Amino acid sequence: MEKSIETIWKKGFLDSDALVAPKLNNLYNQKSKTIIDKLKRMMRINIYAVAIYALLNTALYAWLGAPYAGVVIFFLLMGVCWNSIRQEKAMQRIDVNLSSYEYLKSFNHKLKTAISGSTNAMRFLYPLAFLACLMPIVQALKAGNETSAAIADSGFHLTYGIPTFGWIIALGIAVLIYIFGGKIYQWDINLIYGRIFRKIDSMIAEMEELRK
Amino acid sequence: MSSDFYTASILPYAAIIIKICRAYTNSQEDFEDYYQEVCLQIWRSKDNFNEQSQWSTWVYRLSLNVCLTLLKKKKNTHQYFASDALPDEVMEDSHAFADESLNQLYDAIKQLSEVDRGVILLYLEEKSYQEIADIIGTNPNNIGVRIKRIKERLKKALDGKVN
Repeated sequence: MEKSIETIWKKGFLDSDALVAPKLNNLYNQKSKTIIDKLKRMMRINIYAVAIYALLNTALYAWLGAPYAGVVIFFLLMGVCWNSIRQEKAMQRIDVNLSSYEYLKSFNHKLKTAISGSTNAMRFLYPLAFLACLMPIVQALKAGNETSAAIADSGFHLTYGIPTFGWIIALGIAVLIYIFGGKIYQWDINLIYGRIFRKIDSMIAEMEELRK
Repeated sequence: MSSDFYTASILPYAAIIIKICRAYTNSQEDFEDYYQEVCLQIWRSKDNFNEQSQWSTWVYRLSLNVCLTLLKKKKNTHQYFASDALPDEVMEDSHAFADESLNQLYDAIKQLSEVDRGVILLYLEEKSYQEIADIIGTNPNNIGVRIKRIKERLKKALDGKVN
């Protein structure tokens, strides 16, 4: 006998097994995995981008006639890449058998430790990179052309052929970059990863509330 | 989410959440994900409930919204991973219930548009046209006509197995 849609619906759900609610024990598994994978992917892309930039920058400096400055910056950027790869490997060592909450907490802790370590390293790297960028200018001023002759005749006190006040200004800027290096790095990191960091923090906060 | 909140505010409505989630998913895994996400959203939004409507209406509306959002997200993902074989998933879920007629009805409901699925689920749950209109966010005058049209489509899809 044919049945109406309404009858099928009512009779179908009389069976007690039809409406068994799933357990809420797996709430964040997929989400935490997705967000961590996304962060790892972004970190890897960032490493490749820095490495490619380091190579292109070296070629550019060589073309500008300052290969040594290019090489110095290249090694500084390679240091950044090495540090990032080391951090990524440390994060991969986190036990994947932990619960989502513990995994996310552990990952977040390692991430914050890594950023704190990098912040200290960047305090030195930024001023060094700045000074390396000045090398082509120093080289050009000492090249023995009209500009260097004018500087020599200017009456300024010179140190290695460059006005001493120029060195002082450059060193002053480098010191300022050292002082604010941490902030600059934090700003840089937040610009790239800020949204994901905030998401991880809010997920952990929510999971903590759910565990209460 | 405290077990008190789950027991008092979600569990009494678990049946409708299950029915809605089943209508928007094609595998047990997706169904469980959707169910959990709906429960989480109800818990997250509990402070936004303003008591102008009934709690059950709030639960229906949230369940539908969450399912539609997740479905949209899934569709976007499928655009990039076109090799994900949807027909297999449909087959997997076609025996979600012990009652074969109910399985067939669900298969037919899944062929409807996303909003029509919500409308017919609410109708089958014996919600008034006004309530359906409130939940879906449309004019109650349209609901009757819409339900008639949906039922005709379902009958057609079930190929004469219903009267």
